[in-house]
Amino acid sequence: MDVSNASRRTFIKQCVIGGVAVYSAPLLWEMSRANASIISPELAAQWQTQVSGQSKPKFRNDGIAKVTGQKVYGRDYRAMDMAGWPKQQGYAFILRAVDASHVYQGFSLDHLPASAKPYKVITAADLARDKVKLPEFYGDNMLLPEGQTADYLGHAVAILLFDSFPAFKQTKSLLQFDNTLLRFGEKTAFVSDTKDPYASWRLIRVEGENGAREDTYSPLHDGLFFPSVKHHKPVWSGDANAQGSVSERGLYYAGEIEKQIASAKADQQWQVLEREYRTQIIDPMMMEPEAFNGWFDASSQTFHTVITSQSPQDFQEMAVHMLSSGPLADKVKNLVVHSPYIGGGFGAKDHSIFPYYGVLATIYANGPVRLANDRFEQFQSGLKRHPFIMKSRLAVDKATLKIQALTSQMTVDGGGRVNFSPSVTSVGATAMQSIYYTPRNDIIATSYASRNPDAGSMRGYGTLQSMTAMEGMIHEMAAELNVDPFKLRAANVMESGQRNTQGAIPNGTLRYREMLDMAELDPVWQNRADNKARYEAKNPGMRYGVGFGIATKDYGTGAAAPSAAVRLSKDGKIILEIGFIEMGTGTQTSQAVVVSESLGSFAHEVKLAEIDIWDAMQLVQTDNPYIISQQRQDEMTANPRWTPVKAMASSASMSAYYQSHVTRIAADIIYRHGLWPAAVSIWNELYFNTPMGKTNLNHSRDGRWTDGKLTAMGFPPLSIDILAKRAHDLGLVVGVMGHAFNRWAWAEADFEIFGTKERIALDALALQYGEGDKYHGSADRKARMNSNGYHLIDRQAMSYPKAELNNAMVTYYAPCATLVEVAVNEGNGEVSLLSSHTWLEAGKVIVNELVEGQIQGGLAMGIGHALHEELPPFEAGAGNGTWNINRYKVPLARHVGVWSQRHTILPQLSETDPSRGIAEVVMIPVVSALVEAVYQATAVRFYELPMTAKKIKEAMA
Amino acid sequence: MSQSIKLTINNQAIGPIDVGDGTMMIEFLHEYLNLTGTKFGCGAGVCHACTVIVDDEQGMSEVVRTCINGVERFNGKRIRTVEGHAKQNAQGEITALSPVQQTFLEHFSFQCGWCTSGFVNESTALIERLERKPIAKDNVEQVIEDALGEHVCRCTGYVKYYAAMKDLILKTEGLTLS
Repeated sequence: MDVSNASRRTFIKQCVIGGVAVYSAPLLWEMSRANASIISPELAAQWQTQVSGQSKPKFRNDGIAKVTGQKVYGRDYRAMDMAGWPKQQGYAFILRAVDASHVYQGFSLDHLPASAKPYKVITAADLARDKVKLPEFYGDNMLLPEGQTADYLGHAVAILLFDSFPAFKQTKSLLQFDNTLLRFGEKTAFVSDTKDPYASWRLIRVEGENGAREDTYSPLHDGLFFPSVKHHKPVWSGDANAQGSVSERGLYYAGEIEKQIASAKADQQWQVLEREYRTQIIDPMMMEPEAFNGWFDASSQTFHTVITSQSPQDFQEMAVHMLSSGPLADKVKNLVVHSPYIGGGFGAKDHSIFPYYGVLATIYANGPVRLANDRFEQFQSGLKRHPFIMKSRLAVDKATLKIQALTSQMTVDGGGRVNFSPSVTSVGATAMQSIYYTPRNDIIATSYASRNPDAGSMRGYGTLQSMTAMEGMIHEMAAELNVDPFKLRAANVMESGQRNTQGAIPNGTLRYREMLDMAELDPVWQNRADNKARYEAKNPGMRYGVGFGIATKDYGTGAAAPSAAVRLSKDGKIILEIGFIEMGTGTQTSQAVVVSESLGSFAHEVKLAEIDIWDAMQLVQTDNPYIISQQRQDEMTANPRWTPVKAMASSASMSAYYQSHVTRIAADIIYRHGLWPAAVSIWNELYFNTPMGKTNLNHSRDGRWTDGKLTAMGFPPLSIDILAKRAHDLGLVVGVMGHAFNRWAWAEADFEIFGTKERIALDALALQYGEGDKYHGSADRKARMNSNGYHLIDRQAMSYPKAELNNAMVTYYAPCATLVEVAVNEGNGEVSLLSSHTWLEAGKVIVNELVEGQIQGGLAMGIGHALHEELPPFEAGAGNGTWNINRYKVPLARHVGVWSQRHTILPQLSETDPSRGIAEVVMIPVVSALVEAVYQATAVRFYELPMTAKKIKEAMA
Repeated sequence: MSQSIKLTINNQAIGPIDVGDGTMMIEFLHEYLNLTGTKFGCGAGVCHACTVIVDDEQGMSEVVRTCINGVERFNGKRIRTVEGHAKQNAQGEITALSPVQQTFLEHFSFQCGWCTSGFVNESTALIERLERKPIAKDNVEQVIEDALGEHVCRCTGYVKYYAAMKDLILKTEGLTLS
């Protein structure tokens, strides 16, 4: 295929990295030759409907393709589907080590029948010879060299390439579970035991005396400090000095907290609870296992890929870097990345190492090659949720019931490669306090390498583990103090304006108390004693229990950088372009809906995973946004094209808040500077005695959309096609592109539009104007549309959030609470979920049905974490390649109380509420609610998850 | 070693095609026919994402998991996959969905959609069973549980699939006893 002649619709040039032009084709299925059947325009258009004059989505705009089995996922594609590829599909199979304690000594394939021989075997020797390297993010040893011990169980050893499916199938059947294939020699230490910790964090905070606004000590107030490492363990040693350096002061106040706990405990003033909690390794078990298809077209020097990734932008960059060394160095001029929809991710496809093995296979393949995990391979090699061990203490004043101190030492198993372990560890630490205010805290969290498969940014990102432990301590503390747990919560719930464990003030209104009040009044809670007596009398052998849990999940990374472009065609079609991808959460649908707030209609087309178009804003990124100094940031801000971060990866909890921010602003500018003046001009011209009087239509805020038409102050409603035509004819704003940056606050700047300066929460803005020249000399403006068809507006008075806000670590939260009633079978320990009620604060809800789906899906995932999903560590665990969902039990409908779920989405405070990231939070409180409900039913309190039926039965015995 | 396979899929005659021994039906669909609407989830017959409908000569049908059944089991049979339910016009465009597809769509039953093909086929077979043998309204929830209970969904938590099916069964004349 001649990339240079490809239409924009087919391939979109993203950027040039290291001399390689990167192209993407996010909506691959539209151009697929395999899709003989496409969706009729009339059917597709039905997704938008009108209810009471307002547009509502009747269904997801990607729904028809999915429910009819179209090729929309990366795994669906074969070479024959790809325009310009050879039709013959090749296949790749990875051999993996299931021994991480002996020296690997090689393997032989001599016993394979001739029909099953691979045409190529890629080993570490090839990589060393050809200088092929993993992207730095993933470490080294992409393939395990002979003579070394595997870094972890499931470490890839070789890639076998086949030119036909039957040969691939035959070999895989013979080799996949043959543990005698790889030869191992002498016993060695585990490689992971020789590695330093991936990361270690410490959050020490002491509130200001007498409730002062300023902390005595905290990460935000004083900064973070880090340990030295001895014998691969962190050492927090040094002088404790109240007037010393940040570390010396930190150690001083940590010591003070210790003394206060010991003293107040001895004096019987504080109740001190000390417990250890453990969580398990979790496999995300997203339904679509990872897959990759690739082909290097030597004639056009183009490297083609089809990926199943949540982070295609990062893949593009890292793949180019990987290709820059090795057999194809200087031979690849174009990289084409197809990133269709993904069949579930939950973080498992965010910065997974998997696609780079696909790249490696393609480098050595003689044609198109497909690498697709089966479920055993996915368990063996896919990213996992980090298991935590948390030794925690909670101190509560017996008289006031106020929490006085919280300490914790968290040990986090990061698995074989570092991946996102450092940030998961820090987020887990920051989440420990959950919804509770703690005046003193000392939370240490360290993540280590292990021989388990890699752990990554799986749903929850460390918070599920730590908040569940905190809620467990609240339950037990209430029991020890003999107070109602809601009373204990009420005494300690964090209020708006109070500081978190890092010393930062969370954004917005904290509605935890409101949520607690609602839950406490729920009949299931109020009547729990009577219900227990009644249920157990009626159901001999069953034990009844009620449990409640609450959590507040952070969302955001502290360096978010969404972009959006909204364009209006002359016939009134709205085209929205965004950087995010669709992971199933409904981003494509919800973002289409967001523009209707300003434009009265949903976006007619939403283009996902865009990057190249943002070149119009000419932004440059120079530094790591997390460690940049204030001085450096100030210097760089002087460059109007500089931004801390150009682009961000997609994740489920990010689109609602971050992507919507830019989409809303872009749509609003089109409304105020395009559609509104167009409407006023029509009303003035056709529906008023102009120029004998004034219409008084001076404020765009007076406009109202009803049934998709714009009206104001009684003037005739005008449809968007009429308005769009007028906007184009007048040379008004018909296209807006924006980029924003968020470090727990949005950057903002002045931008001049039609001669008026506006303060807008963006750091880059570019506009397109209609072709007419009747409005404020638009001919001149159009001449300025010279940046990829946009007029790049020079920002003024740029204000970025201060660099020290990095020390806040987290300030955006979405809360959720869950009440469950369960019945535990005395005979087999099985837990039946009789009912559940979930309360969620999602801010401004964009599409109610999508939020409900997140609630119900999150609840199910939390139930799995609490009761069903269990993977042992190490040799018996996923790395041995024998795990699948026949043994790893994921929750089914009968486990989630499918007919008896209730939920309450807290009403927004006003229509100006932001939409919050809520994809993950719902799975968290149900875990602690179930732990407590099982305790109330059985009098057995669990400190280690999951609470399988077997464990419950044994504990009750 | 290979075997010759001939069958009918979505009313289209397929084959004879030579297929390697040990080939699972889902591999035949994907690698030989490029019909990828049927999804691979676990490969162990647990998640049911790969379920298709097999029709017999008497107008009866059964649902079968294609990841644990060899292609030879389907030789000579009539198969329906998720690609075969919607109506298409002469240009091959999808113009109307089946009632099951429509109810899942309008209830926002799926998110990522990977499990959807299995739910569509299992539910379609259920509706056809109820057409032949209606049930009491009080049994609707139990019948849905029995039919869909082994299907795995990881995104949406089952509720909206079940609600969609309940709604469809109760509003479709002839599926329940009055």
